[in-house]
Amino acid sequence: MSIHPPPQGRRLLAVMRQEVRLMLAERGLWVVGALFLLLVAYALGNGLLQTAKRDRAQAAVAQADRDTRTAQRALLEAIFAGTAQPTPFENPADPSRMASSYGGQHVLLPTAPLGPVALGQSDLFPSQYEVTNQSRVVFMNPSDIENPWHLLSGHFDLAFVIVYLLPLLIFALSYNLLSAERENGTLRLLLSQPLRLRTLLAGKLTVRAAVLLGPAVLLPVAVLWIARHAGFTAGGAGSATLWWALLVGAYALFWFALVVAVNAFGASSATNAMVLVIAWVLLVLVAPVLLNLAVTQASPAPSRTELATRQRVVTAEAMKRHQDLLGTEYQHVGQGAILVPRDGKIEIAGRSLANYRIQREVDEAIRPALARFDAQQAQQQALLGRFGAVSPAAVVYEGMTALAGNGARRHARFDAQTVAHHEAWKAFFFPRIDARDALMPADFERMPTFAWHEEPADLVRGQAALAVLQLLVPSLLLFGLAAWRLRRFSVA
Amino acid sequence: MLMHWIARREFTERLRDGRLYWAGGLVAVLLFTALAVGWAHQRGAHAEQVAAQAMDYRDWLHQDQRHPHDAAHQGMHAFKPEPPLSMVDAGINPYIGSTVWLQAHRQSEVKFNAAQDATGLQRFGNLSVGWILQVLGPLLVIVLGFNAFAGEREQGILRQTLSLGVAPLRLLAGKALALSALLAVLLVPAALVAAVAVAVGAEAGGRIDALLRLGAWSLGYAVYLGIFVFLVLGVSALSSTSRMAITVLLALWIGQAVMAPRVLSELSRTWFPSPTRLEFNQALGAELKAVSNQVWQQNFGTTERWGRDVPLSKWGIALRLDDRASYPVYDRHYGRLWDTWEQQQKVQEWSGLLLPLLAVRSFSMGMAGTDFSHHRRFTTAAELHRRNIQDLMSKDLVAHADPLGDRHFSYQAPADLWATVPPFDYHPPGAGWALRHQARSFLVLCVGLLLAAAFAAFATLRQRAL
Repeated sequence: MSIHPPPQGRRLLAVMRQEVRLMLAERGLWVVGALFLLLVAYALGNGLLQTAKRDRAQAAVAQADRDTRTAQRALLEAIFAGTAQPTPFENPADPSRMASSYGGQHVLLPTAPLGPVALGQSDLFPSQYEVTNQSRVVFMNPSDIENPWHLLSGHFDLAFVIVYLLPLLIFALSYNLLSAERENGTLRLLLSQPLRLRTLLAGKLTVRAAVLLGPAVLLPVAVLWIARHAGFTAGGAGSATLWWALLVGAYALFWFALVVAVNAFGASSATNAMVLVIAWVLLVLVAPVLLNLAVTQASPAPSRTELATRQRVVTAEAMKRHQDLLGTEYQHVGQGAILVPRDGKIEIAGRSLANYRIQREVDEAIRPALARFDAQQAQQQALLGRFGAVSPAAVVYEGMTALAGNGARRHARFDAQTVAHHEAWKAFFFPRIDARDALMPADFERMPTFAWHEEPADLVRGQAALAVLQLLVPSLLLFGLAAWRLRRFSVA
Repeated sequence: MLMHWIARREFTERLRDGRLYWAGGLVAVLLFTALAVGWAHQRGAHAEQVAAQAMDYRDWLHQDQRHPHDAAHQGMHAFKPEPPLSMVDAGINPYIGSTVWLQAHRQSEVKFNAAQDATGLQRFGNLSVGWILQVLGPLLVIVLGFNAFAGEREQGILRQTLSLGVAPLRLLAGKALALSALLAVLLVPAALVAAVAVAVGAEAGGRIDALLRLGAWSLGYAVYLGIFVFLVLGVSALSSTSRMAITVLLALWIGQAVMAPRVLSELSRTWFPSPTRLEFNQALGAELKAVSNQVWQQNFGTTERWGRDVPLSKWGIALRLDDRASYPVYDRHYGRLWDTWEQQQKVQEWSGLLLPLLAVRSFSMGMAGTDFSHHRRFTTAAELHRRNIQDLMSKDLVAHADPLGDRHFSYQAPADLWATVPPFDYHPPGAGWALRHQARSFLVLCVGLLLAAAFAAFATLRQRAL
C-alpha cells in the first residue's frame, strides 16, 4: 500500500509561521539581527564616506587642472597681445613645456555607482595619473597618499561584512537547525505530523534567509538608491545592483547549504558548530590566502628592482646620446624676446629639447619591460578566474569588487585607457616639438583630453553570472549530499 | 609538585582527544609553508637588492665627463635592504615599495611596491608566519582550551577536584602550564627552524642582531599567546557549559582577529586624517615656491628666473641656494605627514590593551624590521644621501662652471668628481633600537597579559567545591 504524502505547500507556510513565532520569542534572533544591521549600516556608511572622499578629491584635481589650463591660455593670449613676457619654464607657447608637467593633466577613474559596497583595491591601485610626455614608468605609479598600515588592514566595507561575517551569522541562527529539535525531542513529534523533513527544513531556512538577506541586500540597495541614485531604473547601474543582490544571495545559499549538509549528518549541535567554524576558517580565512600565494607563485611578477635598474640604465644611455644638446646654453638670458613665438614658430631651448628626446627614448626602451608586468597581471587574474572557485569567499569578493568597479579588471582597463591617452598626448605634442611649432590659443581646444569609457555592461554581467554559477554549483552539490544523508536521517 | 600533576594530566588528555593533532597539524603545515615561502622571497629579494645597489654605484663611478647637474638629474637608486626577519613577517613592506630614485630638485618617495603586482585576494592577507600566529594562534588556544574548566564542570570532575582541597589558583596554574606546553610542542620546533633560516639568511655581520630580534619577536608572541591562554581559561571557568565557553570565545576571537584591525584602521584615520595627494602637493609646492622666491629676492634682488639679473654665471649658486632652502620645507611637510601616520598607528597600538592583535602586529613588524619606523629611517637616510649628492654637484658647479660665464652648460666635470660621492651604504638599526621603538606595544602586551591573568585568577577563585 502506498501512502500519498499530504500537500506540502500549506505545511510549509505553517512551518514558517511557527518558526517566525519561535524566533521572535528567542533573544538570539534579536541580538543577531541587531548586530548584523549595525555592521551593515557601519560598513555602508564607511563605504559611502570613503567613496565621497575620493569623489571630492578627484573633483578638486579636475578643478585644479581646469584652473591651470585657463591660466595658461590667458597667459598665452597675453603673450600674443604683447602684454606678458614668457619665462623659459612657464611658456604656454612652447610645446615642449606644455607636454611636460607644466601642461600635464590628470586622468581620473570615476567611482562606479556601486562603488561604496566594495572598496576593493581602490586605495592600492591609483585612480589618477598625471599624464605628461614623460615615460609611463615615471607617472604610472601609486600616487595616492595612504598610510601603509591601513593598506595592510583593508577597509571595513560591505564586501567585508558579507564575505566574513554573513556566514558566521548564518551559523549563529542555524547551526542547530535539526540537531536542536532532535536533542529536545521535538523532531519526533513534528515528523509524526503529516510533514516531510524537507518541508520542515525549507520552512526553517526560508525564514532565516529572509532575516539575514533583508539587511544584507535590501538595506544597501535602498541606501545606494537614495545616496547615489544607483537603482534599478538607472540602466547599467540597475543591472549591476541586481547582479550584486544575486551574488550575495548565492553566497548566502552556499553557507545555508553547508549548514543543512552538516545538520544532515546527525551529529550533536556542539559538533555542528565546531565543524561549521572550521569550514569557515578554512574557506574564508585560509583558502583565499593560499590561493593568492599559489597564483603569485605560479605566475610571479617580474622584478621591480630590475625595472628600477633598467629605467636608470636607459635614462643614462639616453642622456649620454643627447649630451651635446644638454650642453647648450639657455640663450634667452638677457633676451627674453627669443621665447616669444614668431610666425607660428618657436625657439626651443637645447636642454628642453634634450629632456623631451630623453623621455621619448626612455619610454620606448622601457615599454617591453612594462608590457611584461601587464601580461603577468592578466595571467594572474586568469588563474584566479580558473581556480578561484576553491573558495566561495574569494569568488564573492572578486565578484563584488568587480561590480563595484573597484576590481582588477576595471583598473587594468583604466591603465590601458591611460596608456592610449598618453599615446594621443605624445602624438599631439611630438610633431609640434619636432617642427618647433608654437602653440596657438586655438590649439588648446585640440589638446587631447581624457574621457573614461566604462566597461561594457555585458562584460560585467558575464563575470557576475560566472561568479553566481561558481557559488550555485557547490551549493547544489551540498544540498544533494544533504538530501542523500537525510534519506536515512534518524529522528531519535 | 601538584601543579605538575595537573598539567601532565591535562596535557595527556589533549593528546588523547586528537584536537592537538588536527588543529595543531594544520597550523604547523601552514607555518612551515609560510616559512618556506618567506625564506625564498627574502633570499631572492635581498640578493637582488644588494646586486642592484652595487651595480648602481659602479655605473655612477663610471660616468664619462659630463655636466654635474645632469649627473644629479640621472641620480642614483637607493634600495631598501630586505631584513632577514621579513621571512617571518613582511609587515608593511609589500605595500610601500623598496626603491627610492635620488634625483635633483625633489625629495622622492619610495616606489615600486609589490602590492601593485598582486591580485585582489591579497586583501585576505598574505601568508606569513606572523599572520598565522596573530590570527590562527588564538584560535588554536581556544580549540585546545575552551572546555578546560567548563568540560570538567559538565562531567562533575571539577567539583570533585576542588573538594579534594586543590587550591583553585594551583588548578589554574596547572592548566595554563599544560596549554602552554601544548603550544610549545607545536611552536618551538617551528621557532628553531625559523632561527636556523634567519641565521642563514642574515649576513655574517648581522647574524647576532637578527637572532636577537628573533628572540624578542618570539617573546612578543609568547606574551600574546599567553594572554589568550589566560583569557580562554578564565572564560572557560566562568561559563556554565563548554558550548557557552566556545561561543563567547569565538565571538571574542572574531572581534579581535577579523574585525578590529579594519575598524581601528578606519577610526584612527578619522581621528588623524591624512591629506589627499593634491592637498599635500599643493601645500608643499606653495611653500617651496615662497621660500625659493624669498631666497632669490634676498640674494639676487629679483624673483624672476634666469633673467638679466641672474645670469648663467650664477646658476650654480642659485641651484645651491634653492636646494638648501627646500630641505627644511621637505622636512616639515613629510615630517608632518609621517607624524600623522605614527599618530594613527599609536591609536591602534594603545587599543591593543583590549585587542591584543593590534599590539602584537605592531611589535612583530617592529622586531622584524618591516614597520613604519624602520621605513622612515631608511627614507630619511636616502634623502640625506640625495642632499649630499646635490650639494657636492652644486659645489662643483659653483667652483668650475659658474666662472665660465654664459658657457655654464658647456662645462664637463672630470670623472674623478663622481668618486667624491660615497656609496649609499644603509645599515638598518639594531635590535635595541627596534625594541625602544616598540616599547609601547610591548608594554601594552605585558599589561594585557597581567590583566588576562588577573581575570583568569578572579574567574577561578569563584569556583566552589559545593
